[in-house]
Amino acid sequence: MLEGDISGSLALIGYGLAAIGPGVGIGILAGNAVQAMARQPEAAGMVRTTMFLGIAFTEALALIGFVLFFLA
Amino acid sequence: MLASFECTVDSGVICTPEFVNDLFEGGIIFHVGDFAVTRIHFLFFLAAFVVIGLLYAAFRTPKVVPGKFSTAMESLVGFVRDEVAIGIIGPDGAKYVAYLLSIFLFLLVGNLFEITPFINFPITSRMALPAFLALLTWVIFVAAGISKQGFRYFLDIIWPPGVPIAMRWLVGLIEVVSIFLVRPFSLAVRIFANLVAGHVMLSLLLTSGFVFITAFQVKSFVGIGWFAIGLGIFVFEIVVSVLQAYIFTLLSAVYIQTSVQPEH
Repeated sequence: MLEGDISGSLALIGYGLAAIGPGVGIGILAGNAVQAMARQPEAAGMVRTTMFLGIAFTEALALIGFVLFFLA
Repeated sequence: MLASFECTVDSGVICTPEFVNDLFEGGIIFHVGDFAVTRIHFLFFLAAFVVIGLLYAAFRTPKVVPGKFSTAMESLVGFVRDEVAIGIIGPDGAKYVAYLLSIFLFLLVGNLFEITPFINFPITSRMALPAFLALLTWVIFVAAGISKQGFRYFLDIIWPPGVPIAMRWLVGLIEVVSIFLVRPFSLAVRIFANLVAGHVMLSLLLTSGFVFITAFQVKSFVGIGWFAIGLGIFVFEIVVSVLQAYIFTLLSAVYIQTSVQPEH
């Protein structure tokens, strides 16, 4: 049997797990925004603004994880 | 980076990387008592003077048909006034245009310092600046809420009227934490972390690529790869800088709007 140590940084794993949620969320958001802009091109400006707003909210969670990675 | 030029196996210079915080320290220039003034303080003032200079040069002598630079600045101011302030807050958003324009231009110039050639340091990557501006936005939107609705502002947050009575305490608690704690915190951390991440990536990729290339060994080919990725991240950082400044301003306007015009 080979013996070995698993060593590394738990903080890095934590950040990787934290980035799953916002990744999925931003993908869903951008996909729905593209669909909305395709259905009604006149509303593209409003949809684009709201898309950026939503991306900012969800990306904040991934970035809090990134900051905490450096704190740990 | 200069020390790493001597970093080969036989010369004995230890090549452990420094702590990442060193990327964000400025060189101390002089001391005022106990307080060290670094180059970062000069960058803060430089950003402020650039913003003041831009606005002064564009609007010093207003003409009926403005020149090219004045037109560009007018479209920028018009964008903040029409799309962000009045478009989001409504007709009485005109009194917040000065604040929103100031923070938008200051954050835009400050973030773009990350990619300007001799400066290469985003001033929002020190937490003091985003924290202060988020605190300022927080004070403004709470004060706007109080001045518009009096103390019903706090009452409608703690005991929201449109919610079934059994859940009101829970929704009220969530609203209090969300409005008074999470909003300024996330506003500050969002722009701070974006710019910190960008600065770390640019510093590591570009300087390590440069060091590898100028070593003229086998690792130079890896260095070309790193440098190319660094240039790609450079272009991406232009987008991120502008976008984060815009999002900070947009969210400030949205928070003011939810204080001034409650949905219920």
